[in-house]
Amino acid sequence: MTAKTRYFLVGSVMVLIVGLSIGLVAFYGGMPSGLFSGQSGPAELKYLPGDAAVVAYANVRDVMNSELRQRLRRFEGVTDEGRSEFKTQTGIDIEQDIDHVVACMGTPGAQAERSGLVVVTGRFDATRIEALALQHGGRTEQYKGKRLLLAPDAKSGADEHPHAEMAMAFLGSGVVAMGTADMVRRAVDRAAGGSSVQGNAELMRLVGEMSGQSMWAVGRFDALSAQATLPAEVTERIPPISWFSASGRVNGGLSAVVKAEAKDEQAADNLRDIVRGFVALAKMQTSGKPGIQKMLPDVQLSGDGKEVAISFAVTNEMLDAFEAARAMGDQIKKLEPHAPKQ
Amino acid sequence: MSDTAPDPTAPASPGHVPWAAGPARQAPPFLSAAMRVFDLSMGQMLWSRRTIFLGLIVGSPLALGVLFRVLEMLGVTGGVRIEGAAVTGPTIFGGMIWILYLRFIVPVLGVFYGTALIADEVDDKTITYLFVRPIPHGAVLAGKYLAYLVTTVFVVLPSVVILYLLVVPLGNGSLAASFTALLKDLALLGIGLAAYGAVFAFIGAYFKYPLVTGLVFAFGWEPLAMLLPGYLRRLTIAYYLQALVPHSMPQEGLGSALQALFREVPPVWVSLVWLAGYVVVFIALAARTVERKEYVLEQ
Repeated sequence: MTAKTRYFLVGSVMVLIVGLSIGLVAFYGGMPSGLFSGQSGPAELKYLPGDAAVVAYANVRDVMNSELRQRLRRFEGVTDEGRSEFKTQTGIDIEQDIDHVVACMGTPGAQAERSGLVVVTGRFDATRIEALALQHGGRTEQYKGKRLLLAPDAKSGADEHPHAEMAMAFLGSGVVAMGTADMVRRAVDRAAGGSSVQGNAELMRLVGEMSGQSMWAVGRFDALSAQATLPAEVTERIPPISWFSASGRVNGGLSAVVKAEAKDEQAADNLRDIVRGFVALAKMQTSGKPGIQKMLPDVQLSGDGKEVAISFAVTNEMLDAFEAARAMGDQIKKLEPHAPKQ
Repeated sequence: MSDTAPDPTAPASPGHVPWAAGPARQAPPFLSAAMRVFDLSMGQMLWSRRTIFLGLIVGSPLALGVLFRVLEMLGVTGGVRIEGAAVTGPTIFGGMIWILYLRFIVPVLGVFYGTALIADEVDDKTITYLFVRPIPHGAVLAGKYLAYLVTTVFVVLPSVVILYLLVVPLGNGSLAASFTALLKDLALLGIGLAAYGAVFAFIGAYFKYPLVTGLVFAFGWEPLAMLLPGYLRRLTIAYYLQALVPHSMPQEGLGSALQALFREVPPVWVSLVWLAGYVVVFIALAARTVERKEYVLEQ
């Protein structure tokens, strides 16, 4: 073997060793989390409880200003009436004044409804909102230096579980928390420094993957399935899933990714097989119909190990096809009365 | 070999050189002979014109990886997108392993290097120099096959590792989460190169036009059999190799959809046993062919 060949083999082995060492260090948690990724999630996560089962985020400005929304508004024929009324009442222009929203849902159970919290960031006229709340029978309360606005007592009627008292509080400049009074008070506590969802390593791992997305939701799948009343035949056939995430990015269109983390690789394989079968069937159904193909997003199945991911995009071309189909439908409706009677 | 003069009427045994003059030398054992051929072939294989082809074929995924990184660094269109949908690094990496390495690079390297192990020596009329040596002809093939395996493995696997470091962190992808998949990828690509190399070594030793036969097998028979329902796919290497891939099969067109619909995945141990069987059987067949076949050198 010549020296040149030996150098080549040594170089090749060195590349393998260095690359695998980096992977190994990352695998055992030695790699700084910020080395390859940016900040994990919005700063408002610090107000959410550490035991939250689901965390969601929406960049309202991105969504509101997106071309997709404008096209959908035209498509649906939505007017600005409702938005204008809300602005008159509260002084908040949803399109301009709200930047983003962070929300969480608690662990499934009897108290699940009471464990939700919504944190909104934007520009608010606190005086006007407070006056409006008081005008509608609300009251105020001071809690650890923050002013809470409590909604009027709800009449639960015959319900054996009385409704929880709803409240909102200005946690900081342009940051409002809304939820049950208890949850809002705890958010105030966390603002002063307490354990929050940012300490939940599993959730934050998923949040870390959501960078750059316009909207996302991550959490435990049992929390999600508990909210959705699916038929027993369906729930029995879904392979066991521990975590899920869904994210979307709006621009000209919408690109979305839904991920599920199964309990084990076998369950992930089963889930992939189910999804793959559906995707293949859908593709075969539409393979001879280019008109319908244009309107359907192209679904990509991916994922390694325990992870199953489905991504799809709603493109401008699809929206064009939808608009064209709708226009054609309207045209047919107009012509129908003039059609010859049989 | 004995010290007595050879009997000219005795049938020639493999590696036996009846006209060799001078004191008889002890023929090296099979393994030692194979290692000598390996040593000789390594340099020839690595520093031949084929290396340029090898560099191009293995360098193209890396060039794509660099391009993706640059696109992300520049913030172009908010990261890498496939048909409009944003995709993360691990997904891109998985797709590249499937489409570029498993379906293209590994079979192509197998075809071009595997079929050339013996065919090149025949074409260059240099096979005589190897066959007049006092070594079993099968050892020539074994040594050359080993040289092919080391050359391709030591080029392909580092490129996969570099690709992993380049592509997986895209879109906040986790190196840690994809590490086990990387190890599996490296192992299965090594196994794939071994299996394809063995089959194409046999094709190279047996057929007159091995390159064409190899290309028909790799890009005609295998994709076709994988699309058809039934048992035909079990006569391919791709069927067993694809069962080892830790990434999801990318969806690309009706062909993939059909393949996905009729897809059946054999257990990992079954795949490993079959692939090992392919290597052993086809190397044995190739060695037997080389031992028995009389190669006619065209003038």
